[in-house]
Amino acid sequence: MRSVCEIGLKYRILPEGDPLKGLYLRWAVLLSLFGVIGLLGWGRYNREVRAQEPKALLKISSGSDLRVIGRIEGGSLVRGSEGKPFEFTLSGEGEQVSVNFMGEDQDTLRELKTIVVIGSWDGENRHFKAKEIALIPNYDFITWAYLTSLIPLAFFIFRMERKVALLYIMIKEEKAYQRENLS
Amino acid sequence: MLSTRFIGWLRRYEKWFGIAAVILMVIGLYTGLVTSSADYYQGEVVRIMYVHVPFAQTAMFAYSTLFFCSIWYLWKRDPIVDNAAHAAAGIALFFTAGGLLTGSIWGKPTWNTWWTWDPRLTSFAILFLTLVGYLMLRTFLDDKEKRATFGAILAIIGFIDLPIVHFSVEWWRSLHQPLSVSTRGVSIAADMALPLSLMSIGFTLLFTYMLMVRTQMLYLEYLLEAKQGRLMSEERL
Amino acid sequence: MQFFSVIRWIAWKDLLSEYRNRENISSMFFFAINVILIFSFSFSLDPETIKEIMPGIIWVAFGFTAIIGLGKSFLVEVNNDCMEYFQMLPIPKGAIYLGKFLGNFLFMLSVEIVLFPLFVLFFNLDILDQFLKLLLISTVATIGLSALGTLFSALTVQIRAREVMFPILLLPLSVPIFIGAVEATRGILSGDAFALYRHWIELLVVFDVIFVVVSFWIFEFILDY
Repeated sequence: MRSVCEIGLKYRILPEGDPLKGLYLRWAVLLSLFGVIGLLGWGRYNREVRAQEPKALLKISSGSDLRVIGRIEGGSLVRGSEGKPFEFTLSGEGEQVSVNFMGEDQDTLRELKTIVVIGSWDGENRHFKAKEIALIPNYDFITWAYLTSLIPLAFFIFRMERKVALLYIMIKEEKAYQRENLS
Repeated sequence: MLSTRFIGWLRRYEKWFGIAAVILMVIGLYTGLVTSSADYYQGEVVRIMYVHVPFAQTAMFAYSTLFFCSIWYLWKRDPIVDNAAHAAAGIALFFTAGGLLTGSIWGKPTWNTWWTWDPRLTSFAILFLTLVGYLMLRTFLDDKEKRATFGAILAIIGFIDLPIVHFSVEWWRSLHQPLSVSTRGVSIAADMALPLSLMSIGFTLLFTYMLMVRTQMLYLEYLLEAKQGRLMSEERL
Repeated sequence: MQFFSVIRWIAWKDLLSEYRNRENISSMFFFAINVILIFSFSFSLDPETIKEIMPGIIWVAFGFTAIIGLGKSFLVEVNNDCMEYFQMLPIPKGAIYLGKFLGNFLFMLSVEIVLFPLFVLFFNLDILDQFLKLLLISTVATIGLSALGTLFSALTVQIRAREVMFPILLLPLSVPIFIGAVEATRGILSGDAFALYRHWIELLVVFDVIFVVVSFWIFEFILDY
């Protein structure tokens, strides 16, 4: 079913109307505003969330505050106790790194589980000293959730506003309007 | 004409709701995506909450609006109220679909499944189907008043049905298997509550704005149709 | 008194005309037999599996029968131009609804009672001693189905895509009926104590009461057009 608006558009040339110009301007401002937030979110992801594979880690000699993602190798986990650190091998992309972690026992610390370790790297001894352990970030899910909800929302509202603007123009142009006033 | 005055009123005040909604959503998105911390159990994925929960809330709010507009229409028979109900139904369908989609995306990393027969999920799926039925019923009816009345009746019946669906699924689930994946019990830290409440209020305002715009749109469509129809019949004479 | 005689006569008229031309009942009946046959071909007949899937099969058959039967409920009135007479009756319009509802309910229930022996026959069910309980569940579930079905039949009867719209409207809203009926039937077939599935029957009764009352009140608005 074709809407009234489309039929009207076909037979009528729209004037260089203010309502439409204002609409596009407003939406340009809005989109850039939300784009800035998106960029800020992306920056935060790069800064605080993104983790590297052990392979990339092996290339640097040393560093602190690194985030490494990998799987705890089966059979490699030695549980720590009072004052003794956890020790395990983190693997990914065929490379392995031995890690020790000083801290509390956590649910996430299990064999064959993929985790993110945060800490400092000693390239000479190929040893990673973790001070913190985090879950897999799953950032692609977050990105998809936001994109699949907010973009259609914006599109939905934009189409609605545009149609209202068009309808006002068309109703103003409709000749029947004067007739109604006369009779 | 009451409806012309009402449309003028909508046109005058709609922008304030839109502006307020945008301001709240910008701050909410900034705090939600950039400054707030990750959840202890769910990790970063918890950020989906800031878009999923407002979507779901708005869907319920829109359906409540549809319900009250329907009752009001059956009572007063004001065509503009029917336009508002129709507008609310379209918006509710959109937000229900969005809520289901974001919920599904959230469910995969946290519960390791895209779908589960949770009472809330099931009620939302039923809500979705009811709204699709509502909009379809309206497109199949030609007479304007009949369309409004039958739609209102369906909306009222569907609204009454929702809590029963919710309870029945809750009983059904609790009987068969324990709710291994509960949607409840997510305690909210202070820096998560801020973006969540900002987004919720922002979406409520946004819904009000959308309702105002869409009511206008449907009313103007009818108006234009009526005018074009009159023009055509006069030409034929 | 006129109120109740309208209810009685409309229900009586529907049942009588159905008895005389057997149009609806035969299509419903053969559809249900089809469903039963296909399911009995496709599942092995060992008793444990049967107990697990039987409630589903029974209510799939009944649900589709309801769609076939209830959807046409008001068609005969429209075809014979009876809607105008209904509008002119000087009584609360809810009485017409209750009459149609009662007719549909009795009609559906009789089809279901005829179908039960076929389930016993084809699936080797041992439910003869539980028959009264099954009848109770069928009754409360069928009340709910006919209440919604009668209302939606009146809503959809005058539109073009009647056959499409009726199930689209009926099926989502009758989800609680099907959940309740399937669960209660499962309870019976696996021989549970009555207390274990009593709450399902209560849920169905609540559903019935709400929807009969709401439909009774709201039917007036449908007939106005």
